[in-house]
Formats: sequence, C-alpha cells, structure tokens
Amino acid sequence: MMHTLNTRTVVVLLTPLLVLLLAFFLWPLGLVGWTSIYDNGLTFSGYERVASSTLIHRVMGNTLEVSVLATITSLVLGYAIAMHLARMSPRRRGPYLVMVMLPFWTSILVKSFAFTIVLGNAGVVNQFLDWLSGGAWHVEMMFNRVGVIVGMTNYLLPFMVLPILASLQNQNRNLHFAAEIMGAGPVRIFTKITLPLSLPGVFAGCLMCLTLSLGMYITPALLGGRQDMMLANLIDFYTRQTLDWTLASAIAIVLLVFSGLLILMMLRAQNNQEAVR
Amino acid sequence: MKSNDKRSVRTGDTTHNPSRRSLLKAAGVIAGTGMIGFPAIVTAQSKSITVTCWGGAYEAAIRKAFAEPFAKETGIAVTLVNNADLPRMKVQVESKNVSWDVFDSIGPQIMAGAEQGLWETIDTSIVDTSGLIQQTGADHVGTYSYAGGLGYDPARHPDGKHPTTYAEFWDVEKFPGRRGLRSRISENLEMALLADGVDPKDLYPLDVERGFKALDRIKPAIRKWIETTPETVTLIGSKELDFTYTYLSRVLPARENGMSIAMSMKQTLNSLEYLAVPKHGKNTEAAMKYVAFCLRPDRQAAFCEEVPFAPNSAAALDLLSPEVKARIPDMNDPNAVVINDAWWGKNYDSLQRRFTEWMLT
Repeated sequence: MMHTLNTRTVVVLLTPLLVLLLAFFLWPLGLVGWTSIYDNGLTFSGYERVASSTLIHRVMGNTLEVSVLATITSLVLGYAIAMHLARMSPRRRGPYLVMVMLPFWTSILVKSFAFTIVLGNAGVVNQFLDWLSGGAWHVEMMFNRVGVIVGMTNYLLPFMVLPILASLQNQNRNLHFAAEIMGAGPVRIFTKITLPLSLPGVFAGCLMCLTLSLGMYITPALLGGRQDMMLANLIDFYTRQTLDWTLASAIAIVLLVFSGLLILMMLRAQNNQEAVR
Repeated sequence: MKSNDKRSVRTGDTTHNPSRRSLLKAAGVIAGTGMIGFPAIVTAQSKSITVTCWGGAYEAAIRKAFAEPFAKETGIAVTLVNNADLPRMKVQVESKNVSWDVFDSIGPQIMAGAEQGLWETIDTSIVDTSGLIQQTGADHVGTYSYAGGLGYDPARHPDGKHPTTYAEFWDVEKFPGRRGLRSRISENLEMALLADGVDPKDLYPLDVERGFKALDRIKPAIRKWIETTPETVTLIGSKELDFTYTYLSRVLPARENGMSIAMSMKQTLNSLEYLAVPKHGKNTEAAMKYVAFCLRPDRQAAFCEEVPFAPNSAAALDLLSPEVKARIPDMNDPNAVVINDAWWGKNYDSLQRRFTEWMLT
C-alpha cells in the first residue's frame, strides 16, 4: 500500500484549509497587528501604554496566575476522571463521557446561576455546612478566586480529560501485567508506567487549558470578585467602551506573544522529556 | 494641462449626441444603483429604515409605540435590529457603508460616538427639540429615562430594615446585609457623593476625589461588583445579595413574574436613552423624521405606558395614566437625579481606568 502522496495532491488537498485559515484567521490577526501600530499614521503609543500601565501589568499577572491555577486543578481532577474512564468497559464509558462533555454544551450564564445555587451564600453547600455546624461554618465560594477557579475548571475539564483518556487507552496493558508479575505495587506501576506513558496527553491537555484560560473573559467576570480581572476584560473595555482600538490591539498582541512563549516553553519541556526517555 | 482636462470631460458621458451606447450605459447605472442602494430608489410608500434596539419587552414597546404607528403615518417601514453595538456602528460609518439609520442607545455609547464624530447633526427643521425636559447635544436627542435605585427583597427586609437612600446604603452598621454595586464608575460616583452628603443640585461637576474617598468606605462591604444588568435582580432572587443597585425597568417585570423584589424610589439616578443618526446614512431624512416622531408627546406617553420609562417630553407627562405616573419617579423632586452624560462623555475613560485600578487594589 502506498502511503506517500505526490506534491500536487497534497497542494490540492490542503488548499481549502489554507484559504480558510488565511481568510478567517491570518487576515484578521494581521489586521489586529496593524491596528496596534496604526492610528492615522504609524504609532507605538499602544505598546508604550502597555509597557507603562501598572493596571495592565497587574491584570497580566492576574491572568497568568488564574490560568495556571485553573490548569493545575483541571489536571488533577481531569487525570482522576480519565483514569476512571479508561478502566471502564466501552459500553459504560459512553454515558460518562457525555457527562464530561455536558458543561461544554451549557451556556455560562446558566452555569453561573447554577453555581450560585450550589456554592452561593444561601446555596446547597453552605446550607449543609450550616446544618452540620449549627451556623458556625460558612464558606464564601462565590465572587472570589474560588468561584473563578471552580467555574473555569468546570469549563476546561473536557479539554483535559479527552487527551489524557486517549493516551491512557493507548497504553499496552501487558506492561502493567509484566510489572505486576515482577512485584510492583499499584503506586509504583502508576509512577513508573502509567504516568510517564500518559505524559503526551497531559501536555496536550495542559496546553489547551492554558491557552483557553489565558483568553477567558465571561466566567471570571461573572463568578469572580473585584480583583479577578483578566486581560480579555481589559481588551473588551478598550474595544467596546472607549473605542481605543490601538491600545486594545496592542494588549491583544501582547497576550498572543505571551501565550505563544508559554506554549513554546511547554513544547520544549515536552521535547526534553522525550529526549530523556 | 487644463485644456486636456476639459476635453476629457467633454468626450465622456456628457456628449450632446445620445448614442445607443450611452443610453445603455445610463440604463446600466440606474440598474446598478438599484442593486446597491435598493431602499433609496424604491417609491416613497415602500421606503424603510433600520433602527437599533435592545430586544425583549423594550422591543415590543418600541414596535407598538413608535415603529408601527410611524410606518402607518409615513409609509416608511421600520426594521428593528437587536444587539447593535457601538464598535460595529463605528465600522459602518468609517467604511461609509451604513446599514443602521438610527442608533438607539445609552449615554456612554452615544457620547463616545459623538466624541468620535459618528453622528449627523440633528436637523432641527424636522426634529423639534424645544419641548424636551433634558436638552442635550447637537448630534443626539434624549428620548426617555430609566430610573436606577436600591433594590431589596421586601420579604427578607421589610420597611425600616432596608436602605432607602445612598447614605443609608453606605451605613453598614444600621443596615447590615450583603451589598452589590455595578462594576463601573458612572452612577457609583454619583451615589458615593450623594451618600457623602452632597446636595443633588450641586452634584455636577462631580467632585472626583471626594467621591473616591466615599467609595473607599463602602468598598469592603461590597460582596459583588455586578457585571451584567440582569444579575442586579437575580442575585437578590437567589438570596446571594441583600441590597443591589438596580433598575426599575428590571425590578417591575421581575415582580410581575412573582419574584419578591422592590426598589426604593426615595432617591433615584435617572439615565437618558438617546437616539442618534449616523453619518453617511442612506436614509438620513427618513431617519430624522423617525427621531422627530419618537419625541412627539403622544408617542412618548404611549411608550411609557408599555415599559417603566419616564418621558423626556414635558408635554407627555400630562398624557400619562395615573398608574404610570405613580410608578415613575417624580422628576420635579430634587432627589430624582438625572445623570449628566455630557460630563461623563468627557471624563468616563480616565475615571473608569482609575476605578478599575481602584478595584484591583
């Protein structure tokens, strides 16, 4: 069987995708880049203001912190879910996968209302704590960092679970059996076999979650407190409210470079990992 | 050079001898304009304009009080488009390809648009602005106002247990409860100054430093800086908050739907809704006629019967039914403050930036 395609076929097959990307991705992106340096003449005022504004710096730090935190919680929860799913029979896994995907299909406004019912001041959890402790225990879980992380993790989980699940399912079960025969306990099997072999899935999941959370906007705005502002909120503020598109584009480009560097770092870490192996 | 120019003009379409070719050309031009700007050349009866709108009950009221009667009277049909926002309006005006003939929006958007020179000057030979309570700029008109004030749940906080004025809202000892304000500086700054004891008639120009100092005092008591307008009501409904800054136009429909919520009318902040006509529009004259129609006292009164807004036409006040008069704020009361959008137009950007930084610290 021939697996190589000749150049002409490749070009023909790739053209639709390339045209699509050019028209709906590269062209608008180029436009944003252009807007960031052009306002009735070439200007770097957008970037100068990004560099000098403490507000933007602080929000940038916030964005990074929240994104990393949300990615870590998604990883911990997502890995456990993926492990559980990987052990199920395919027939049972179906409905559980649907449940994993459910938050993905629900509007954030509906979810934010639902979170209030569960985590809010008069929510199910606090009512239970109240009953348990006779009014002594009360945890604020909404409109602060906790709310943001819960909301974002809820959204990010499918992106973490699916790649990890795939890499867990690809593992050769015989390796586990062999390790067991050689006397390894479950912890050892996990750290020596399951985890290292699932790292490509972990990297892919983390990459997606981090990229998605860097651009998150509505979830932090609805579930967060006053200090949980994200860079995307600032971009929205300058785009829609003050119509300062030069600055908005400059922030957007900085965010893009920022996430690009992060992704690059992660890819490098992954390559090193593979080289070690 | 000059003679050359002249000759080239004469050899163009303006020859005195109409050949078959030039006739065909002319026909093509007519057909072409017909395709590009079809609303502009169709006969007067089937003309139409596009007006931006906010959907929901607001859209239904606009349709009943303005759009449909306007179409009946002038033969100009009105198409309402929802979710219109200023950035898209700006793109339309800048590319001179305007598809919205009238822009219906709130103060900050209209003022930002005015700042950017997006609006056509209001044609006063068509639009009579003399009878308006609030006179505004030359390129926009205030249509009606909506009241903002302090919302609460009367079941949880009966009279005497909830703040009715901003000074009481600031008094966290006398009125304990979980509070919510909007995540923007406008309205908050007015509230802070009124809470601090500024006389409503001396409010503008706002004393920014004093306002931020007063905001510092309430900051620790605010549980949520609310992002979206519906949440100012739903967060009270879900018992997440006790007192919020909210709007009459949200509270009354929620109450009709069975929610236990009310709004104090003792001290209100009233914001105008505006109409503006974008530059480079294809139907500017029809758009001006629509704006004039919306300011007519009888139409204003008809609109305010439908939704909880107060008319900006002085004569419309006399035409309102007693029920409507009872639910809208008495605009002669000094405690019914009207937000000065022109002042905000000049100060909003820098103050919102300061407010955002203030929130982060």
